[in-house]
Amino acid sequence: MIPLKYNLRNLRVRWTSTVMTVLGTGMVVWSSCISFGLADGLRHSLRVSGDPLDLIVLRKGATNEINGGFYLEIAEELRTLEGVARDKEGRPLVSLELLNTPLISRRDGSRATVMVRGVEAVSAGLRPSFQIESGRMLEAGRGECLVSRAMTGRFLGSRLGETLKVGENESYRVVGVFSAGGSAAESEIWVDRKDLERNTGREGSVSCVQIRAGSVGGREKLVAAIEGETRFKLQAIREVDYYASQARSGGFLTFSGILIAGLLTLGAMFAAANTMYAAVSARGREIGTLRAIGFSRSSILLSFLFESILICSVGGFLGLLATLPLGSLAFGTINSATLSEVTIGFRFGPPVMVVAFLTTLAMGTFGGLFPALRAIRLDVVRALRAL
Amino acid sequence: MKYFGYIWRNARRNPIRSALTIASVAISMFLMMILLSFLAINSETVNDLKMHNRLITISSQGFSQPVPIALVRQAVAMDGVVAASPMNYFGGMYQEESLPFAQYGVDADVIFSIYEEFPVATEQLESFRQDRSGCIIGRKLADERKIEVGDRLPLKGTIYPCNLDLTVRGIFDGPSGRDLRACWFHWDYLEESRKQSSEGRGRSGNAGAIVVKCRTTDDLTRVAEAIDGSTRNSDAATRTQTEESFVRIFLEMYGDVRGLIRNVGLAVVFSLFCVAGNAMAMSIRERVTEIAVLKAIGFTAPRVLFFVLAEAVLLSVLGGLIGALGAKLIFDVIDVSRYGGGMVPIFYVPWSTALLGLGAAVLIGLASGFLPAINAARLSVVEGLRKVG
Repeated sequence: MIPLKYNLRNLRVRWTSTVMTVLGTGMVVWSSCISFGLADGLRHSLRVSGDPLDLIVLRKGATNEINGGFYLEIAEELRTLEGVARDKEGRPLVSLELLNTPLISRRDGSRATVMVRGVEAVSAGLRPSFQIESGRMLEAGRGECLVSRAMTGRFLGSRLGETLKVGENESYRVVGVFSAGGSAAESEIWVDRKDLERNTGREGSVSCVQIRAGSVGGREKLVAAIEGETRFKLQAIREVDYYASQARSGGFLTFSGILIAGLLTLGAMFAAANTMYAAVSARGREIGTLRAIGFSRSSILLSFLFESILICSVGGFLGLLATLPLGSLAFGTINSATLSEVTIGFRFGPPVMVVAFLTTLAMGTFGGLFPALRAIRLDVVRALRAL
Repeated sequence: MKYFGYIWRNARRNPIRSALTIASVAISMFLMMILLSFLAINSETVNDLKMHNRLITISSQGFSQPVPIALVRQAVAMDGVVAASPMNYFGGMYQEESLPFAQYGVDADVIFSIYEEFPVATEQLESFRQDRSGCIIGRKLADERKIEVGDRLPLKGTIYPCNLDLTVRGIFDGPSGRDLRACWFHWDYLEESRKQSSEGRGRSGNAGAIVVKCRTTDDLTRVAEAIDGSTRNSDAATRTQTEESFVRIFLEMYGDVRGLIRNVGLAVVFSLFCVAGNAMAMSIRERVTEIAVLKAIGFTAPRVLFFVLAEAVLLSVLGGLIGALGAKLIFDVIDVSRYGGGMVPIFYVPWSTALLGLGAAVLIGLASGFLPAINAARLSVVEGLRKVG
């Protein structure tokens, strides 16, 4: 084996070339990771949104909460069903909710459809680790709203104490900022259901009902009871399944991630190969000497491959490090399943690390392979004679 | 130009290196074309809409809130209005596929005079008008799903609690940059079906949105204000805007994706700068003796600078040409939008984007050649001649 020190010193001697290659590969790894981190953030938020005991009740035929509307009097009947869990105060954990998706301006003036959810007192109990971060909880019937931690400040009038203008005759005062364990609720604005009912002229209807069952068995009984009642014309979907079906919108981010990572890595392989070819051709005599003093072809091949992987790894590591500041990023884009804004956080998780590792390995290996093969094919005598 | 031969030979001297540099630039440029086109197409489409003098009215509370159908008649009566039609997004499933293509309930009598850019055969249009459950679909939808005139097109309601059993009566064409996968059917038919289901009754009388064609550009603002003014104090306040402003909303909805694309684009340019710069620096280092000879026989420093810069630009532009024009050609031949699942209704590389890519390639060439060129120009003749290897 050729000592690793040989490669390290070589990289140091050609430091400008080394730095350029490191920067180039670092940039590639950084840009490749972004979409994967965002797609992972979206998947994570959908994963934590679904509680195994929760059901979402929609009108039969509806595909999501927004178009799932049905009559309030039927929804009220769901509160009395057997098998429903109760909160500390003994209220059934059945939350009647009304949704609207108005166009709201972002702070930069661009517009987005935002999910405004009309809720009741029990609604918060149905979200994972719902918490008021600042301000206070909603009071019913007073035209107030709660904005999620991830959204506050990103829309006009969405900071605590400001007034959020939703439509021509509709606005809400922001009285609190909430968090909900990174779940889908963090892409929503919460208002009182009765307020929203009145403001949108939809008295007597709800968009969806969220129910928590007391047990898994109770959940299945609830599904049977709701879907079995022909008068209802409703469907009860397990929350876990409901959110899993929404992950479709993450497909776009994943696809663009694969596209970016794939093409950039291919481009960077050529760049790494360039650097290594130069390294090989500049070291013809050294390689000849190594061969002459008895190092085998395979150890020379390994040595050059190692050098290539090393240089790309440094770049890859720097690129990966550069994604860390993105962790605090609140990224808003359209959720193609509900056609409303979804706020995604960049998640530095396994997918990002895997992508960084794979792109680095691909660049280093394929970039170094052909130059290394050329190095071992050099004729010893001629290599030694070269000036 | 007389030095082109010399520069060309220099570029070809280390064919592997040059090929790798060009390939690296070309592939990254190809990616950049895809990303930037995504933004450019949308704004190009939006700008093309301006000439049609159309307004879109939606509820001031967003897309999901109703607009009263009576407003269509009021709008038609306004001064400067040519025609108006409801435009009700149905969003139904086709063969169990959700969101397969856009479907709108429209006024069959006027819709093709509002959308003049979509030509349809006269007899097809007539048979569409005669058949209350008829529909007209876009050329791409017909071709891709092998749907012919006379075929049935059943749609299962998701937003509305009713199903539609449509029959294709015609196929419309249109400019390549527009959505040719849409399906237009009679608004009246949707209204009837809605009234038949108990849950749907509450939502009847909803136009969804209203599209209004005005006579001239000057009428737009006045008509929009008149429409919104007539609903301001009712419980169905509306917001009317020009069609391009309306379509722009959907572009704006992408939100931070646009910034992401720009940032990745910049990162690509920077990494190309490193890649191409590195290759050029390596080439110059190997040619130190030669450059010293050039200077010794009387070539001035600026001329040497020019040689190196020109070579760097040549390589980078060759890569840019392959990447940018290659992307343009490939996406002109292959219509990838049919695999986009509705997220990208149209996809091609606009000329403006391809040219932008070439411009970026020139800049990358100049920037990457700059340091090696300065070094070559500054090279001391004696030092250079003395160097061995």
